[in-house]
Amino acid sequence: MTEDTTTPVEQVQRLYEEAESRTAAAMEEVVSRNSFGEVLAMVSGNAIAVMKLGSDIADLVVRNLRLAGRRDVIALGRQLARTEDKLERVLQEVEDLQDGVRGSRASSNGSPEAVPEIIKP
Amino acid sequence: MNALRDISRLPVDALEFTNIVLTTGDAQVGTSPREVVWTHRKTTLYRYRSSQRRHAVPVLLVFALINRSDIFDLRPGNSFVEHLLEEGYDVFLLDWGEPDDEDSDMGLDSYVCDELPWGIRECLRAAGQEEVSLVGWCIGGSLCAMYAALEPDAPVRNVVLLTTPVDTTGSLYSTWVARDSFDVDAVADALPAIPGGGIDIANKMMKPVTNFWTTYKRLWDQVRAGEVKREAYQAMAKWIADNPPFPSRAYRQWITWMYKENRLARGTLRLRGSRVDLQQIDHNLLVITAGADHIAPREGTLPILGLVSSADVTHLDRPGGHIGLMAGSKARKEVWPEIVDWLEERSAA
Repeated sequence: MTEDTTTPVEQVQRLYEEAESRTAAAMEEVVSRNSFGEVLAMVSGNAIAVMKLGSDIADLVVRNLRLAGRRDVIALGRQLARTEDKLERVLQEVEDLQDGVRGSRASSNGSPEAVPEIIKP
Repeated sequence: MNALRDISRLPVDALEFTNIVLTTGDAQVGTSPREVVWTHRKTTLYRYRSSQRRHAVPVLLVFALINRSDIFDLRPGNSFVEHLLEEGYDVFLLDWGEPDDEDSDMGLDSYVCDELPWGIRECLRAAGQEEVSLVGWCIGGSLCAMYAALEPDAPVRNVVLLTTPVDTTGSLYSTWVARDSFDVDAVADALPAIPGGGIDIANKMMKPVTNFWTTYKRLWDQVRAGEVKREAYQAMAKWIADNPPFPSRAYRQWITWMYKENRLARGTLRLRGSRVDLQQIDHNLLVITAGADHIAPREGTLPILGLVSSADVTHLDRPGGHIGLMAGSKARKEVWPEIVDWLEERSAA
């Protein structure tokens, strides 16, 4: 027969850790169930719907006060983003053309040293 | 005596514990010196210059659309970027920034067909090289795989995929969001940018006791034992809680295509009219999975090994979780050197 040398504090600690790991495993099993997924989906849907209602009401109030609301700021932001998209494509075309010009200059000079180094910002 | 000492220390320990938790937001992450090479909308390409560059092919790091790319450079002494620089790589990071409501038009196609190739283009121009090594983590890995599949002739020599979701069948996320009752369209219509906080809560709910309780309990135990690593805890805790919004169009596509329809693994994913056929990937490929990954389980990544046509494929399966694999205390000694060794053999001019 072996003698149990653990102190009461250690025993409590061990029991606690056991309980914690079992609870963790049980909770992970709970969240992996279909029923939990179903509840989560419904709760998310409801939360989103409430948020949307609140946001729409706030937007309506702001618009009727003739102030620029979030929607207006977003519209401006989108317009800027689209402009940046176009600018990026133009810049890439310009860079490709620059590369082409440098390449043709180099081949006409017959010396790669004649190619100016590309300086990146 | 010990009990008396423990009780007398209780207020001091409680104070230290609360101080660590409350000042987590002040932790410094992503502090390695870097320069901005290129920006487009919210995307920024950063360059970390190595003072001892030995390898011709630069490394481009691509992170997920959730959480921040700072995890690649968490803190001095525990930074993958720092490790790559020490090993002589020219390191670039494509950071997706903080999308807002005006970026609701950003879809997976925007990231795969625009931001990523444009970032690669600028990376190569800055480095003066012909090819790049792509290192994608989590969704970033999926984006890299999609890009490599769409553009087999792209200037990419090596592709490294870290804990990357490919086949989502049977995953916990799938149980939650693939069901019909989860109306992703309603969510994406109502929210132009899905708040990062919501995604953070969902991630934490996958292991509720561990994330909401055990983390703090462990911190408390470390404080009581006088062994707390304040900087390490705070840097990781700050990074975990810091989630940028997810553009609604990309979110809708990610949930629908990856989880509801599992298109990437089935080969039915189309971006801007082109089919994303993983068989088109013929680059040198390193796939790393984590044994205890509950976010991108190993079983969901492994199918890519049988789908690609690369002649050079390496798979490493290592213990650890989705993030711990690359950012945990053992990563520096175990996983990072393996990645560097793999890259080294494939990064000559």
